[in-house]
Amino acid sequence: MTDKPTSGLGAVDEGPVSSDANSPQGAGAPANPDDHPSVAALMERFGEAVLHHEVTSGDQHVVHIDPARNREILGWLRDDPEQRFNHLADVTGVDFGGGQPLQVVYQIWSIPYRRGLRVKCLLELDSLEIDSVAPLWNGANWLEREVYDLFGVTFRGHPDLRRILMPHDYAEGHPLRKDFPLRGRFSRAEQTRRALNQDVERFYIPEERAIGREPQDVTLPTGSESDEGSASDG
Amino acid sequence: MGLESNLPGGGVSARSGGLFGSGSPTFLTSKIDFLVNWARRNSLWPMPFGTACCAIEMMAAFASDFDLSRFGMERMSFSPRQADVLICAGRVPYKLAPVLRRIWDQMPQPKWCVSMGACASSGGVFDVYSMVQGIDTIVPVDVYVPGCPPRPEGLIYGLMMIQEKIREESLTKHYELRTEDPSIVARPRASDEEVAALSGPFGNSTRQNKLAGAVETEATDRPRDRRP
Repeated sequence: MTDKPTSGLGAVDEGPVSSDANSPQGAGAPANPDDHPSVAALMERFGEAVLHHEVTSGDQHVVHIDPARNREILGWLRDDPEQRFNHLADVTGVDFGGGQPLQVVYQIWSIPYRRGLRVKCLLELDSLEIDSVAPLWNGANWLEREVYDLFGVTFRGHPDLRRILMPHDYAEGHPLRKDFPLRGRFSRAEQTRRALNQDVERFYIPEERAIGREPQDVTLPTGSESDEGSASDG
Repeated sequence: MGLESNLPGGGVSARSGGLFGSGSPTFLTSKIDFLVNWARRNSLWPMPFGTACCAIEMMAAFASDFDLSRFGMERMSFSPRQADVLICAGRVPYKLAPVLRRIWDQMPQPKWCVSMGACASSGGVFDVYSMVQGIDTIVPVDVYVPGCPPRPEGLIYGLMMIQEKIREESLTKHYELRTEDPSIVARPRASDEEVAALSGPFGNSTRQNKLAGAVETEATDRPRDRRP
C-alpha cells in the first residue's frame, strides 16, 4: 500500500523525477484487487478488459481498462447496485511525452458506498478516439470538451464537441500536449493579430446568439385580465 | 506687414493668434486649458477591467481605507461609454484581447489607460502560448504600474500621474496627441516588430526560434495537431 517514491521530506532529497520515469503502467505499486471491492468485482465481471491495477498515494486505486469498452465498463460501474459510482468527479487527460500513450483519466466516486476509483484509458497517439461518457454523466460534457481542446482526444458520441478554453479558431494545436511548444507555434505578432480578429460572438453557442436577435413575442396582460382593483381610477 | 514677416520666430503665425490662435497657445486657450484640465483631472471615471489578483488591490484602492474618491474617482464606470480611464488590472489572455480592444474603442475621447501590474504590462511570468505579452500591443497605455500585484498606493500614484499628464495637456494639441484612426478596429496597435521586441529576449515563439536554430527542443511538429 505504499508509494514507490518516498513520501514526506524524503522526496525532497531525491529531487525531481522526470516525467518519463513515470511510465503509464507501473508508476504505482502493484496491488491486491481484494483491497478494493469495486476492483475485485470489476475484474470478475470484465476479466481481460481490466488491463492493470495499481495503488498510488497510499490508497488511491487505479484501474487501466480497455479504451474500446470504456463506456460499457463505466456504465456498469455507475449502474451496478453493488457499485453505484454515480458521481463523476473529473475527466482529464495526461500526456507523458516521449511517444507514450496519452491517458484519459476518469475520477469517479460512489456516493452511496463512499468509495473512489480512478479509471484510466490509454490511447495510442495515432488513434486518439474514445467513446464519450456524456450519455452516462451529464457532467462529462464540458470536461470532455476540455480534454478535446487541450489534448486533441476525439470523443465519439459527444453531443457538442467544440473547443471550450481556447478560441474556436485556434489553429496551433492542442496546448497541453508535451510536444506543444511553450509559447505556441506562431509568432507573438501573429498570435496577437489572430486574437484581435476573433469573432467574439462565436464565444456563444447558436442558441445564445439567437437571444436578442429574433423578435420576442411578449404579450402584456390586458386590462380585463388584470386585477380590477389595481387598474382603475387614476 | 513687411515688418511682421521679418520678425524672428515665424512672422505672422506667431503674432496673429488672436483669441483662439492657429494651433499655437494664446492667452484664452491657455486659460481654457487650465479650466478644462482642472475639471477633467478631478473627475476621472475609471473603467475597471479587472481580471486577476490586481483587481483585488484595485478594489482596495477604491474602498474606504485608500479612498480614490479623494481624487474625484468615486464613480467606477462599468459602462465604457461613460468612462475616462481604463484600468486594466490583471493578466489578459489572447481570448480576452478582442474584448479589451472593443471596450477601449467604445470609450469616448479623451481617454487614458493604466496598465496595472506585471501581467498587464508585460505578460509577467505568463510567457506562454495563451497570454498577451503586454496590453500595449492592443491598446495605447499611458501609465504602467509595476508590481505583482501593486499596492493600492501604487495604483493611486499611477492615477495621479495620469492627472499630471492631463495637467500638461492643451486644447490646441490635444487631438493631435490622441489621434486614432477609427477604421483601425480589431487590429494590433503595435507593429510586428514592436510586438516581437516587447515579447522579451526570447523574442518569438519556440517554433520560430527552433527554425532559426536558436534553440533545440524535443518538440516535434505534427501537422495533424493543427486541426482547429
